[in-house]
Amino acid sequence: MVLLKATGIRKSYPGVVALDHIDLTLEPGKVHILAGENGAGKSTLIKTLSGLVRPDEGALAIEDGDALQEPRLFQRVAYVPQELNLFPYLTVAENMFMPFGRSGFGTITVSEKAMEREAEKFISRFGIHARADQKVADISVPDQQLLQIARAATQEEFRIMILDEPTSSLTAKETERLFRIVNDLRDKGIAIVFVSHKMEEIFSLGDTVTVLRNGRSVGTFPMADMTESELIRLMSGSTVKLDEQFQSRSETRDDDVILSVEGLSGPGFDDVSFTLRRGEILGFAGLVGAGRSEVMQTMFGFRKARAGRVMLEGKEIARNRPDKAVRAGMMYLSEERKHHGIFPMLSVRENIALAVTGAITKGGLISGARETATVSDIIGRFDVRTSSPEKKIMFLSGGNQQKAIIGRAMARKPRLLIFDEPTKGIDIGTKFQIYRIMQTLAEEGVGIILVSSEMSELQRCANRIVTMYAGQINGSFDHADTDVSTLVAAIIGSPETSHVA
Amino acid sequence: MSPETSPAPAPASGAQLPPPPSLADRIKTVAANPLCGVVVALVVIFVLSCLLSAHFLTAFNMKIIARSLAFVGLVTIGQAILMILGELDLSVGAIGGLSGVAGGLFMVQFGLDPWLSLVLCLALGTACGLLNGVLITQLRLHSLVLTIGMAGVYGGANLVLTKGVAITGIPGAISFLGRGMMFGLPVPFVILLVCLAIVSFVMLRTPLGRYVYAIGSNKAAARMLGIRVDAIRICAFASAGFLSALAGIVMVARLGTAQPSIGDTWVLAPIAAAVIGGVATTGGLGSPFGAVLGAVIIGIIENVIVLFGISPYWQSIVSGGIVVAAISFDSVARRYFNREA
Repeated sequence: MVLLKATGIRKSYPGVVALDHIDLTLEPGKVHILAGENGAGKSTLIKTLSGLVRPDEGALAIEDGDALQEPRLFQRVAYVPQELNLFPYLTVAENMFMPFGRSGFGTITVSEKAMEREAEKFISRFGIHARADQKVADISVPDQQLLQIARAATQEEFRIMILDEPTSSLTAKETERLFRIVNDLRDKGIAIVFVSHKMEEIFSLGDTVTVLRNGRSVGTFPMADMTESELIRLMSGSTVKLDEQFQSRSETRDDDVILSVEGLSGPGFDDVSFTLRRGEILGFAGLVGAGRSEVMQTMFGFRKARAGRVMLEGKEIARNRPDKAVRAGMMYLSEERKHHGIFPMLSVRENIALAVTGAITKGGLISGARETATVSDIIGRFDVRTSSPEKKIMFLSGGNQQKAIIGRAMARKPRLLIFDEPTKGIDIGTKFQIYRIMQTLAEEGVGIILVSSEMSELQRCANRIVTMYAGQINGSFDHADTDVSTLVAAIIGSPETSHVA
Repeated sequence: MSPETSPAPAPASGAQLPPPPSLADRIKTVAANPLCGVVVALVVIFVLSCLLSAHFLTAFNMKIIARSLAFVGLVTIGQAILMILGELDLSVGAIGGLSGVAGGLFMVQFGLDPWLSLVLCLALGTACGLLNGVLITQLRLHSLVLTIGMAGVYGGANLVLTKGVAITGIPGAISFLGRGMMFGLPVPFVILLVCLAIVSFVMLRTPLGRYVYAIGSNKAAARMLGIRVDAIRICAFASAGFLSALAGIVMVARLGTAQPSIGDTWVLAPIAAAVIGGVATTGGLGSPFGAVLGAVIIGIIENVIVLFGISPYWQSIVSGGIVVAAISFDSVARRYFNREA
């Protein structure tokens, strides 16, 4: 039996073919993985399947009806987008059943009590830690993520659920909760489309996988015969060595201290001290909320420090002045690419040029020729894939936005670069490009800090790993003689293992 | 499951040139330019006005339009900078009025040199804008709310100084600024063009101008890049204050008296003009040039209403309606050409 059948789906935007004759079949009770690098066309395909994007060509049948002719068939598809889009100041129940007319809880007035009673059922079914009458702003991010899924499931007639990277901001435990829900839905005969970059998830959940590359389908395969390296090869079209290491080589390291932080305190963390030596990549491990990003942002002056000193190459950095930190040679690449990184409404050219005004001006004025040359050099060197430098950066894929931001930061020749979750939501090929950049920089003597929630990433790149727990540093480990379990014990605050090396 | 035999073409790396765009793409590129809507609207309204009224396209009438346009135009430039930055100043009219009457007082009551008075008046307007900017950035207030309050303060100061009575006897030395002609154009209009040229140059050709767009597009990202966001915001408010004061003193020069009511109509028209001209109310998009074109549209509409002899009771409905129509046209056109892009 087939729930959804897409044939020959084609969609093009000015200058790009986003989807090129894609076929996809969804069966009840199966988890169908969509894999592909950033910009491969996964998002466009998902949006087409859920009726948000109309294809230029092709047929889309849902339960044997032509969905392109009968849009109400799209009600069978529950779509959970990657980004949270909830109403923060409305209650959990209100978020679940909005619009009230559809859910039957209010045509003229809203029947709050009945709605909350109904919401409780979904809350317990999806294991959300919240009350129905709580404001969404007051519940945790993972619970918000689950609420989004529950909301999609309130659409009663849904037979297909599409999950777009649902675990990107979940911890391991919360991911487990989510998996139980997905398995539960699968057992009830729902067809599930699951998009993820995380290999463990793909292999533990998937029944079948369709791999997209550059808008085309590379093929659909049963997961049972798939291996990790084969999947990566299909996605990237090239082979990457899974065990490749990116630590800077020891001969480039010396005891010269680039950065020293003494007794820094700020919002969400207390009395943090550490040093970064020349030529090393310093990793920061910890749970979401342990205070790692807060430390980095306070060091950088983006958040207010209560106490402490930050010295970069022997010079003290003024507090609360990101402009002075940048002038001293510190650059911070935020985890929140959308909020702290890109200027969405400006073009790729303008986004890059903003960081290199020194290089593109002549007598204080911007020189068009210099700008074009500098920007296209960065675009080329960092392999930013865009149809034109004039394209608004918000239309680029996440990985390409990230490469543009890194390129822009590098063009400033920083003395210290802080990468905060640099590969969040980024495909493997690009990930390895970013690792290589970090390695090269460290070997050239630039200080590198890598904040990451992925243990494998830290193990792959960092020479030394500092662990944080509940706003404090509770350990510092050398990559060479530390195993994963020691690190994990430290980040969950297990007392017997925490020590300061 | 053999690997795909004909792999997708090598992804275009940014360094390679994209294929030349088709004609349809080129038209779309032009149409997607934020200035396109306002230029089309301006041409349509201009042609219609010429066809509908024989008195419209005369040298005399054009001079009238140019002269009266200059005041709202100057304020529009300042407001456009602020809107691109993601801010709004509702006290620009009050600053213009206060600076104008203060200039009048310096000249008439204190008997200061007219040109010195002019400088003091501009300094006062700049200081008012600066104060707005400092309060907004240091106390982290929303510019809309703060400037509503400051409009009351500056407007009240105006009334305290004048007691609501016009100051007459402005020296003839500066009347040239308001009434004179230069290169065959009314002097206020020349002042507008000069200011627009300077501001456009800064916005397009200097890093500072780029920073303004960047802050309007994403304030947090701008701080992260080391851009001095608050300093630039304060400067922008000060510039808007300066331009309002300039409009105020030129108005005084034109009228020959310092009326306390100067600036009363300089608040909403510039905002409407900027939006018609493609400046996004959310910041980051548009240009002062487009905003001034928007002011030209509003100026022509107001002029034509008078030429047609439309009842004064209806004037506001007609001009308001046309403004809404112009904005809607622009929005619909942009959505059509920019869909998903």
